[in-house]
Amino acid sequence: MKVSFPYMDNPVLYYKLLDLLGHDIIIPPRPTQHTINLGVKYAPEFACFPLKVLMGTYLEVEKMGADTIVTSGGHGPCRAGYYGKLHQKILDNAGLDVDIIVFDAPKDWRPFLQNLKKIKLDNSWFRVMSVIRTAYTLAHSMDRIEKLIHKNRAHTLEPREVSDAWEEIQQKYMGIENRQDIAAVEKWARERLAGLEYNFPTPDQRIKIGIIGEIYVVMEGSTNNDIEEMLNELGCEVERSHYISEYIDSHLVPWKWKEYQHILDKADNYLEIMIGGHAKRSIGHIVDYKERGFDGVIHLKPFGCLPELVSQSLLDRVSEDLDIPILSLSIDEQMAKANMLTRVEAFLDLIKQKKEEEIA
Amino acid sequence: MKIGIPRSLLFFYYYPFWEELFKELGIKVVVSDQNNERIMNKGVKYSISEICVPMKVYVGQVLDLVEQGVDLVYVPRIVSIQKDVTICPKFLGLPDMIKYSLEGMENRVLTHKIEQESDDISNWKDYQIFLEIFDISKKELKRALKKASEKWQEYRAMHRKGFTSDQLLEDVKRTPDTGDLTIGVLGYVYNVYDKFVNMDLLGKLREMNVNIVTFEMIDDEVIQREVDQFAPRKKMFWEFSNKLLGAGYHFLKSDEIDGVIHVTAFGCGPDSILGPFLDIDSDKYDTPFMTLRIDEQTGESHLLTRVEAFVDLLRLQKTKEARKCEK
Repeated sequence: MKVSFPYMDNPVLYYKLLDLLGHDIIIPPRPTQHTINLGVKYAPEFACFPLKVLMGTYLEVEKMGADTIVTSGGHGPCRAGYYGKLHQKILDNAGLDVDIIVFDAPKDWRPFLQNLKKIKLDNSWFRVMSVIRTAYTLAHSMDRIEKLIHKNRAHTLEPREVSDAWEEIQQKYMGIENRQDIAAVEKWARERLAGLEYNFPTPDQRIKIGIIGEIYVVMEGSTNNDIEEMLNELGCEVERSHYISEYIDSHLVPWKWKEYQHILDKADNYLEIMIGGHAKRSIGHIVDYKERGFDGVIHLKPFGCLPELVSQSLLDRVSEDLDIPILSLSIDEQMAKANMLTRVEAFLDLIKQKKEEEIA
Repeated sequence: MKIGIPRSLLFFYYYPFWEELFKELGIKVVVSDQNNERIMNKGVKYSISEICVPMKVYVGQVLDLVEQGVDLVYVPRIVSIQKDVTICPKFLGLPDMIKYSLEGMENRVLTHKIEQESDDISNWKDYQIFLEIFDISKKELKRALKKASEKWQEYRAMHRKGFTSDQLLEDVKRTPDTGDLTIGVLGYVYNVYDKFVNMDLLGKLREMNVNIVTFEMIDDEVIQREVDQFAPRKKMFWEFSNKLLGAGYHFLKSDEIDGVIHVTAFGCGPDSILGPFLDIDSDKYDTPFMTLRIDEQTGESHLLTRVEAFVDLLRLQKTKEARKCEK
């Protein structure tokens, strides 16, 4: 069995989870234009963009020899929860022998355990639990570093150096075996980042941008033209509404749900109920960012995304009520970097002007 | 008090229910006009460009009703009419979209959650908000809901006799179809019955002497059986997509259906998942399958050409098969 998985943000977490269980792994390459073209060719025209990119990734890893793909599912009504079944149908129809194992949030335990058995190999259940714990710690540790980077990269003279350091750090994380290793890598990473040259402005001069929207296009840099890096290079600190550790806590760890409830509560004035995907969370995060003194928000969604179209409909009103500028970008296979950069730059000019007026 | 009901979305599935309900409660109801260019343009102007055409029509209808001077527009939040299955996220957030994206609508919407376990949406618990707004007693409400439910059951029974919703709602001639060809028209009610957006697809088919079958005519058990067979463990999340899926597979397998036309709105999310399954499997069952995509810019001649070509193809196939049998 050669196992692969979807690529989102970086492959470290999925890789370590499967690697520590002793699997033979095909690491999916970071999506490129080729991946997207491949996905677009096989996926239905009106499927949302993440489905197409994943389709491309699956076809690429199949060529590299993978015969099993492990992925996460969902219970809707966002389309992402049904990707697995459609991907499987398209792969079968193309005559490719790939088995997709979909882990749904354990509403119903039986299929969840059946799936777990498929990838457990001959590890003891005790070992499985210990691997899951290690992966959990890993997710949190990496996200602490990533958040630090999203903030500090805005204030270096050479943003590229920070990005390179981040690559290096990820490589180190790829080698961990247990939780002690993770702590050591994190310590090393902090030192590595601290050793770079920074030029921190005073807090009131910093520009802070929040990125909200659909999880895949927010997290996966190759689909959004590395928007975090782009904003950092333009001198803005960035925070995303999605980090994988927060996703795990708010979706899969019942006793942690409470910690994220306040974000949802903040959206009550605009969206009464959960409508699937992260629409309500997106609105809640705007309110949260405003309260925390952010200067602007960028909303990313795949073209035609069902839940995010609802939140997009509400953005004008939210922006007006809270007096916070919001830029909404729709992402699909035709998104070009120059287009995005122009819009982001214009948006930042507006924010800077607003900030100056407020200070004066 | 005058309540406005937009002639869009699930209007075509639930109007007899709503009509009877408000009539029994003694409340005057205004239904918006048939969709037309004026309404469509208004909808396009006031919704975000990327949203699907039925939602734009709905926005146009709401604004039209407000201009007609209704006090409240009835925008129920239909979340679920079957356990564990919801409707498209846009329906779930519909009242919020209407309230907060259209100016001055915040206090002009009559909305309540509908979360029931069957298509018959008459459980009074979801309608408690009516008690206060209309100043009625619980008994009156329950009685009105019962009447509404009966009316709606009659409407559904007529579907099963082979009538389409437009025939039932508009009182056009209710003669059974007598064409030589039968086509399964697969699509959400708001796409199939919006004559303006789909350029009167049903009328065109009838003119070509084609019998029309829609999902409403198929028995619930048949649909359920097909859905269970398709996905024993994980159904699709969207109520009407499941209905179309079940009906679609039934159409593909049935000998009485010569071809299937899937009418879908540009950018429809659930259909982008549903379509490929039926499309791929239509080869297996050897039933011609065509996807007809509609939006606010659909051109009449383009649509007519495609439909005519499809119908010609089906007729040709039918004569060929008949000849084969003779030999």
